[in-house]
Amino acid sequence: MGSLVMKEPINQIKKNKGIYFFLPIILIFCILGTLVFSISQKISREMSDSAIQNLSESLDLIKCTIESIFNNETEFQMLIAQELARVDNPEEYVRNYEKNRTIAKISLIMAGQTQGVSNIDEVFSADELDFSAENVINGLSVSQSYVNYMGTWAYSIKCPVRKDGQEIATLYMEYTYDFIDRFLPEGFYNAQATLYIMDAESERFVLKPEGMGKRSAGHLNLDDFYRANNIIDDSLRAEVKDCLINNQNILFYHYIRGVHALNYMWSVNDGNIFLIGYVPVEAIQQEGKTVNHNLILVVVSMLLAFFICCLLYYFSQRQQQKIARERETEREIHNKQLSEALLAAQIASNSKTMFLSNMSHDIRTPMNAVLGFARLLTTEAENPVKVRDYTSKIMASGQHLLSLINDVLDVSKIESGKVVLNIEEFTLNDLVASVDAIIQPMAKAKQQEFYVEVTGIKHEYLLGDETRMNQILINLLSNAVKYTPNGGTIWFRIIGQKQRSNQYEHIRIEVEDNGYGMTPEYLATIFEAFTRAENSTTNKVQGTGLGMAITKNIVELMGGSIDVSSEVNKGSLFKVDLEFRIPEVQMERKFWAESGIRRILAVVEDAETGDNIKTLMDDMGVEVDLALDLPEARQLLAAGQSYQIVLLDWCLPDLAGLSALKQLRSFLPESMPIFCLAAYDTEGLEAALEIENVDILNKPFFVSAFKERLLIMQSGEDEKEDLEPEIEDNLEGLHFLAAEDNEINAEILTEILDMEGASCEIVENGQLAVERFAQASLAEFDAILMDVQMPVMNGYDATRAIRALMRDDAREIPIIAMTANAFAEDEKAALDAGMNAHVAKPIDVDLLKKVIKQYTKREA
Amino acid sequence: MKKKFNTRKCLAAGLALLTLFMLAACGGPKDDTSMIISSESDIRIVNLFSPMEKTDPNVENVARSAADMTILLAEERLGVRVAYRTYTAEDSKDKTYDEVLLDRARNDMDDLYLLNPDIIMALAAEGELMDLSGLACTQNLRDVVLTANMVDGKLVAVPQEVVAYGLFINKDIFDACNLELPNTPEEFLECCRVLQKNGYETPIGANRWWLETFVLAIAYADLYNGGDVEAEIAALNSGERKYSDYMRPGFEFLQQLIDNGYIDTEKALNSEAIEGEGADFRAQVTPIVMAYWGAANAETAYGGTDFEMQVIGFPSHQGQMPVISMTGFGVGINAEHAEDAMAVLDVITSDEALQIYAEINRVISPSENVRVDCVPSLKPLNDRIEENVYVLGSNANMKLEQWGNICLVVRQLLAGATVDECMAEFDRLQAETLPE
Repeated sequence: MGSLVMKEPINQIKKNKGIYFFLPIILIFCILGTLVFSISQKISREMSDSAIQNLSESLDLIKCTIESIFNNETEFQMLIAQELARVDNPEEYVRNYEKNRTIAKISLIMAGQTQGVSNIDEVFSADELDFSAENVINGLSVSQSYVNYMGTWAYSIKCPVRKDGQEIATLYMEYTYDFIDRFLPEGFYNAQATLYIMDAESERFVLKPEGMGKRSAGHLNLDDFYRANNIIDDSLRAEVKDCLINNQNILFYHYIRGVHALNYMWSVNDGNIFLIGYVPVEAIQQEGKTVNHNLILVVVSMLLAFFICCLLYYFSQRQQQKIARERETEREIHNKQLSEALLAAQIASNSKTMFLSNMSHDIRTPMNAVLGFARLLTTEAENPVKVRDYTSKIMASGQHLLSLINDVLDVSKIESGKVVLNIEEFTLNDLVASVDAIIQPMAKAKQQEFYVEVTGIKHEYLLGDETRMNQILINLLSNAVKYTPNGGTIWFRIIGQKQRSNQYEHIRIEVEDNGYGMTPEYLATIFEAFTRAENSTTNKVQGTGLGMAITKNIVELMGGSIDVSSEVNKGSLFKVDLEFRIPEVQMERKFWAESGIRRILAVVEDAETGDNIKTLMDDMGVEVDLALDLPEARQLLAAGQSYQIVLLDWCLPDLAGLSALKQLRSFLPESMPIFCLAAYDTEGLEAALEIENVDILNKPFFVSAFKERLLIMQSGEDEKEDLEPEIEDNLEGLHFLAAEDNEINAEILTEILDMEGASCEIVENGQLAVERFAQASLAEFDAILMDVQMPVMNGYDATRAIRALMRDDAREIPIIAMTANAFAEDEKAALDAGMNAHVAKPIDVDLLKKVIKQYTKREA
Repeated sequence: MKKKFNTRKCLAAGLALLTLFMLAACGGPKDDTSMIISSESDIRIVNLFSPMEKTDPNVENVARSAADMTILLAEERLGVRVAYRTYTAEDSKDKTYDEVLLDRARNDMDDLYLLNPDIIMALAAEGELMDLSGLACTQNLRDVVLTANMVDGKLVAVPQEVVAYGLFINKDIFDACNLELPNTPEEFLECCRVLQKNGYETPIGANRWWLETFVLAIAYADLYNGGDVEAEIAALNSGERKYSDYMRPGFEFLQQLIDNGYIDTEKALNSEAIEGEGADFRAQVTPIVMAYWGAANAETAYGGTDFEMQVIGFPSHQGQMPVISMTGFGVGINAEHAEDAMAVLDVITSDEALQIYAEINRVISPSENVRVDCVPSLKPLNDRIEENVYVLGSNANMKLEQWGNICLVVRQLLAGATVDECMAEFDRLQAETLPE
């Protein structure tokens, strides 16, 4: 609830922000909308007024035109009347008057008569005409409209003919409405306006001028106009009626066939006739509509622009907020990182404190032994048994101290990134063999079973740092031995994995034991430096606590991964996944081809072992036929296949060991080499070696080992012969020049050499060493033992100077580095400087003797 | 970041482009001249005089629309404008359309006229109509059309539709009264009797124009359906035979209808076509009216009724008999725009125009090449026409004009004249046609 209460105000603020942002926009829109609407309305009103004015003017114009025609007609008629008054025979004049389009008929009734003459050869009677409406134009009476003899609507005007003040006759002249049409415009308002001329008295529509309205629309009279246009509102009709009676002009809006129209009834000639019709409002307000449209367009454009501005502002704000959020997040991450770094530093500090504490303890423990037993030595110097006992314990403690220092240095170097892998070709055989040679004795010492299994390997020759691989395996396996109680079992497996690339062999190394196992808590920190399975005060196992950290670092340096699973009292399983580049194996393949070995027969205890052999030999271009027992092997041999070598598993399920070998030999020619595959330390192999062309191969099967044994067999050398006679391991009679600045070390060296029957001359630095050697006679010194870190001139420079001396033996004299710089890089630097070998301090006497003998052998 | 940058760039470019367009739009060519010259229109006019059907605010006049479309076609083709001039009588006291048309034609008021059959004969006799034989459209006209409009070897009018007259029957009422559609005059009289008995006091709705169709059907059923038309007409023209002999049965039949009160004579005499009787028919007050083919399609007439309508031929001894008449377009002999009027007529009676007209109006086309399906109610009438069973309402070969004269004599009957008096009138009229 607490966090919910905290969130609500934030949401409220966000909502409020939105409202504050949008409220002004909405208000602006409302104001703008109202403004536009009112302007639009104003324009519409003004335009409407203007349009009505315009329409009125147009109708007035038509009205004036018609009235003008009427006036002209009456004036003309009066002239004719005057003319008739002048002529002798007015009736004859009328009869001969030519009919034309302006005057449809001219008639004359002489005063006192009811009938008269006309110009269309008919008797004319005034009864035919209706003047009851008393319509007058220019003082002359106008008849009601009628359809004349020509079939068109017409009207007649009567005019008295006066002579000398006496009315002698009446002149009737008939005019057609069609004539008026000739003087009217051909439609107005773009022919959208409809117009009829209506006779007011009869309300008949007497003319629909050309172009006035839709041609399909035609109306008979006012009622028909009302009916056809749905003008059914009685009040409106009554109002119109009043206007018609009062000769008033009227305009009213009404929908004509769904179109909003302005209807008009326009009085002409004092209401004798009316102009009736309508025009769509859209037609008369076309400009207004256009203006409004443009106005709306402008407003819409402005609104659009306003929207875009708002949008841009909104996006800008959002962008800024986003940046602020990102910065905040970044700051939080940074703070978190700082906190973590601080925590890590604290942990590291704690770890280092713990480490220092542990190291202090671990160093003090053997140091205590060294000093304690050294003290005891001074008191028990006369007792040789105790002296030997004490010195051996001092030695052991010293060795432990040394390994502790080595590990610490190793970790330090790896962590500082100074370790460089030394990539060279190596074989898995050598790797396994060297590891096996170290671990087997350790396991045996604790009565542990140690199994080595190699499966699925396609390439045995690989490129990698063999030394570091050794280090990994020894670390893992020695741990397994250490943390497995007596009588336990340790499995060392190398398993070929599916290749991710043809150029790389992907292998998994598994080290499994059924030892003490680890708690989950410890598992989580096993690869961290300065940790051990148990606190050293209670630890039954000696160790620096750095081995796994070093292992993990090296694995990762090789681009691999390490994983561990463990259960207390059940054991542990380490899995290391590594990829090694596959070297060109042409030389190896060439060996097998040149040796004429194309096919071999492998008699093995199980198919898996056979497949391993087959896979490895396939890589060498040698085909392998497998037999799982002797009868099968016999069948294969009988089938006529030509085999160059036979491999025999020493542990066949039915018939094992020597018996199987003998049986196999019985149906093989004696010249056919047989290699027995046997596990380490298998008994009874000596008897096998007595049989001709038989040799032993250690399991697991490796091509390199196979090749080596084959070469030995081919050369006819015996392994025993191969063993060199015991080398005399003392240094009797040898004389050395030793550059050593430390007096104690110099004394130790002198003593050791003295013990070995050798002598040495000590110089205090490199410079002196160079000078002494330069002055020495040829072969005066058998070798030079060179410290590296010395005042005046270091060992490397001194070596280079010696090698540069113009003496015959300057290049030959063995120079052996004897230094506390114990890393591989140091060794490389020494060799690069021209030294022959490198022996790390503290001096391992046996190693020193071996190296010296190796390099002074020639002279010896 | 790159994407955002690009979006901004695009936006900026878009805005710049928009601004450029706006600025460019502000420019434009300046109007250097302040003078506007208005030129007079030189459109050629053709004046068409035709009857004006009253418009209805709620209904589209399809027939008028169809005719207008053909006129529009002509205007587009020829670049002329056809000006409509119309006349409609307000009531029976007014001059009729035909009377006004005669006056106008005689005074050369218009160019093109839409003429009723009797007026065609009248004006042709006076030589007021152009010979239209040379028009391209005449090539495809049906024989019946040519027969009806050929006067003294001149084709004086060309119609846009062959107008077939028939009886419009309210089938629902007939069914309700258990009546079959009548074939003979006797059957028709019986139907009227039953209808009257069933409360339909005046079973027949009539106007002052179309009662003649009963007479024509009975009079000429035998002549046009199996008779020797040429010989009989020759005999009539020579006076060897009397029109009154043909007319009498029809008039006697009408007299019976009048005597039995099946027709309201007063109303009929004062009613215009459809205006008088149409409303009652649509309101199912009157079960029988007579009308032309197109009335069955037009909503302004009897299209889309609320009941089932059937259009049948008039009763005759040869069964249901359609009466075919033809209104037609003619050109005044002294027409001011004669050439353009002829051209307009040629277009509006071309196959293309007649196809448009027939499709909209669902009528029988005068062109042999144009045929359209009729509405279901017209099927009985159409079936008889398809069987070539019909009588002509007018025949140019008869010297006594039929359509108009019979109409006038029927009005006399309605006004109270006896059948014998009517026959005497026919004899008089026939005598006027005979050479002295």
